[in-house]
Amino acid sequence: MSFLTPLFLLGLAGLAVPVIIHLIQRERKHVVEFPSLMFLRRIPYQSVRRRHVRHWPLLLLRLAALALIVMAFARPFFNRADIAAAASGGAREVIVLLDRSYSMAYGDRWARSVDAARNAVTSLGPSDRASIVFFATGAEVALRSTGDRDRLMAALATGKAGAGATRYGPALKLAGSILSESALPRREAVLISDFQKTGWQGADGVRLPDGAIVTPVSVGGGDTANVAITPVSLQRSAFSGQERVAVTAGVINRGGQPVTGLDVTLEVGGRAQQTQRIKVDANGSASVTFAPFTPEGRDTRGTVRIAADALVNDNAFHFVVAPKRPLKLIIAERGGGAGSSLYLSRAMSLADAPPVDVSLKAGESLSTDDLATTAVVVLNDVPVSTPLADRLARFVERGGGLLVVTGGRAAWPGTTDILPAQPGTAVDRTRGSAARLGALEYGHSVFEPFRAPRSGDFSSARFYGYRAVTVAKDARTLARFDDGAPALLERRVGHGRVLMWTSSFDVQWNDLALKPVFLPFVHRAVRHLTAYEERPPWSTVGDVFEAAHPGEPRVGRVALTPAGQRLTLDDEGADVLALDEQGFYEIRPQGRETEAPLTVASNVDLAESDLTPMDPQEVVAAATGHAGAASADALGGAPTAEAQERAQKIWWNLLFAGLILLGAETVLANRFTLRG
Amino acid sequence: MIGTSAIPGARFVDPRVLARIGNLELLARSVVDGFINGLHRSPYFGASVDFAEHRGYVPGDDIRRVDWRLYARTDRYYIKEYEADSNANFAVLLDVSKSMGFGSAGITKLDYARMLAGCLTYLVHRQRDRVGLVAFDSDIVEHVPPSAKHMDVVLHVLDRLKPSQPGSLRAPLHKVAEHFGRRGILVLISDLYDEPDAVIDAVGPLRFRGNDIIVFHVLDPAEVDFTFDDASSFEDLESGEQIPVVPEALGDQYREMIQAHIAALQERFSANRIDYTLVKTSSPLDHALFSYLTTRERLGRVR
Repeated sequence: MSFLTPLFLLGLAGLAVPVIIHLIQRERKHVVEFPSLMFLRRIPYQSVRRRHVRHWPLLLLRLAALALIVMAFARPFFNRADIAAAASGGAREVIVLLDRSYSMAYGDRWARSVDAARNAVTSLGPSDRASIVFFATGAEVALRSTGDRDRLMAALATGKAGAGATRYGPALKLAGSILSESALPRREAVLISDFQKTGWQGADGVRLPDGAIVTPVSVGGGDTANVAITPVSLQRSAFSGQERVAVTAGVINRGGQPVTGLDVTLEVGGRAQQTQRIKVDANGSASVTFAPFTPEGRDTRGTVRIAADALVNDNAFHFVVAPKRPLKLIIAERGGGAGSSLYLSRAMSLADAPPVDVSLKAGESLSTDDLATTAVVVLNDVPVSTPLADRLARFVERGGGLLVVTGGRAAWPGTTDILPAQPGTAVDRTRGSAARLGALEYGHSVFEPFRAPRSGDFSSARFYGYRAVTVAKDARTLARFDDGAPALLERRVGHGRVLMWTSSFDVQWNDLALKPVFLPFVHRAVRHLTAYEERPPWSTVGDVFEAAHPGEPRVGRVALTPAGQRLTLDDEGADVLALDEQGFYEIRPQGRETEAPLTVASNVDLAESDLTPMDPQEVVAAATGHAGAASADALGGAPTAEAQERAQKIWWNLLFAGLILLGAETVLANRFTLRG
Repeated sequence: MIGTSAIPGARFVDPRVLARIGNLELLARSVVDGFINGLHRSPYFGASVDFAEHRGYVPGDDIRRVDWRLYARTDRYYIKEYEADSNANFAVLLDVSKSMGFGSAGITKLDYARMLAGCLTYLVHRQRDRVGLVAFDSDIVEHVPPSAKHMDVVLHVLDRLKPSQPGSLRAPLHKVAEHFGRRGILVLISDLYDEPDAVIDAVGPLRFRGNDIIVFHVLDPAEVDFTFDDASSFEDLESGEQIPVVPEALGDQYREMIQAHIAALQERFSANRIDYTLVKTSSPLDHALFSYLTTRERLGRVR
């Protein structure tokens, strides 16, 4: 046993106090007049004095109470080795939490953290159990609750620094769950990390079971100089009918020394294309823009790279550039009524994300072939015959989008039920005040961009005429006029969607086409009909990639990870791929190995490249609910005397026992007094 | 407080109650009268009938003793001799040393001794004996010669006595022995804080002169039972010396020693034909009186 403040042991001299009280103070308390000391004088004084202690239990109680209190102030604790030896104190459940974010690859941090974990395993007593948990963005149990040291060591050997970012929350939650399930009396978590400030995002409800101890072992500190590539920006442009992409990359220097002559290289398709040399100030950043290149093929891989430094993972940034393919849209209009689609066709031809290839056709001339190659059909106020309606119904069920604009001439056969509503009579609002759009479903993806204030004013458009409709049961009304009549309705049919606009898109019945909201409105409507979703040029490690669009038929897929591992995406469960490596993932449908793959670029979280450390006690305080938890020596991983003392809290028990003894002493003393 | 006792009819009165009666004569009378009335059989009080004879005057006789009425009838001088002369002299030898000032039960030993002396004096006076008093500490403090008329004086002196000096037995008692020419009954009331042999040595001369000696050994209950509890410094009332004492530790030893002392005194007095009675200040006065009377009766019979 050792003492944190051994000077307090001098207080043991206070043990003489009760003895003095017993031997000296009591007889000096008062003077009794006695007729004659003739007899008393004959009794030897020495023997009298020796027998002054009347109540030995009382004296011993007082001495014990004082000794316990003095010992409590001296803050005793057992060394870790002592604890292991004295297994009678209760077996421990130890969770070794080992940070394997990519910042642990900096210098010798990973080796030191593994050493610290081995120390924790070595210190286990015979009846102790331990779990190994690796964590980065998420946490993973490598070995759960075992006392077998060999297996624990083997589990430690399987770990290596990954590409994830540090997140303490999931690791501590996992540790809390294992600890709460444990039946062992003493619970401890050893958190081995470089304790980056960016990894801690507040307590987030992390709380270990009561009595659990968190021992942080920091392997960070020291030099934190690091240069990292920031996410690039891609600027697309058209040149001679070809799409060109200009890449602008940023370089950030997190060290205290400027970096000069740093080569920044752009690789396209795996080949270095351009290199630029830049200088980055201390704790500063610089950007470099490369000359545009033309992406070829379905997914062109690009990488911006700088020379390797102490932390390798953030020295390259990967992205995928795919040429944008235009969306095919057919506007069916009445023959000879070219003006009616003017505003719509012009508006759609300006679309950028995605670009739209607009073609105008007479309503009845829409063939099956036309429908097979197009994504969206707009019926701009045309009467539809039954055969055409059937063709359109099949088109929609396959996943096509149909926008039905019901001006004064639109008609739809009642036999084909795919419209959200059956158009009825025209409502004339030329007399009195014109109708305006009243209620809009801003939660819907069509109107979602207009949700914020000053993001588009639909109420400025005036409507002089629209068609009264009979709404189908499964249709949804997205917009209404001020009198409550539906203006825009939606219905899902098969894999496709049908939108119905109950007024016109020319300036006959309304002036919406002249308003600023018209353009984004029709773009959103068409985008919604095609369920278009732009794939981001890169993802971050820890993200989940969804291989199939919602609604698409599921097929078996095979993914090739950057490390060369083949993963079969489960076609039974979620068709998703967890990105936990840095680089390019290739995804192909099963059995079609020769087909050009879908490529996904995965990059490390740039926040992790900031190696600024935090105070480990902040994590400990949040996890245990009190700030005074154990801290650890950064190098050896052995907890300090103070940390051990705080963790064991023997003083509290001693103080409590001392107070109990004092209480017992009071009771006993009263009893003796009464009896005397 | 009125209690009962094994002595039939005796009305024993708590000394603490009696101590509140300021008038010693009233106290003595109430105690003695009650005591006598309660006795079934009066003990022998001694010669109580005045028996006078006349003899012719011879020069040298005290002219105060001339019977002038007989002279008036006979014209001769006769001396009147009283039978009273054969009555005993009674004197109380009262120890008023400082140790007698101790009292633990509301009454000091001296108070008790004072009451006891008063009662005895009153009782004896009723028997026509002559009463006297000697108060002493290390020397004689007060002296009232025995006389049939000195009852009031004795009570008055008793009332005034206060313990002021350390005491001893030998010197004053020897002095008393020299002074008392006539035999009589001497009642020694003291706490007898001296070695038994020294006490006998002090009392011896009195005894040798033919006095009947009755010793009342007055002790406070605390002195006998040593009922002290807390460890304290004990101060000698006479010398002022202090010693630390833990009563629990030496109580038993002390009690053994005081009992041994009492036993030794009893033995020594018995061997010297001296009546010895141990009186605790907590016991009623009647008890002491009864003790005296039974002794007196026995003495009378013997004579």
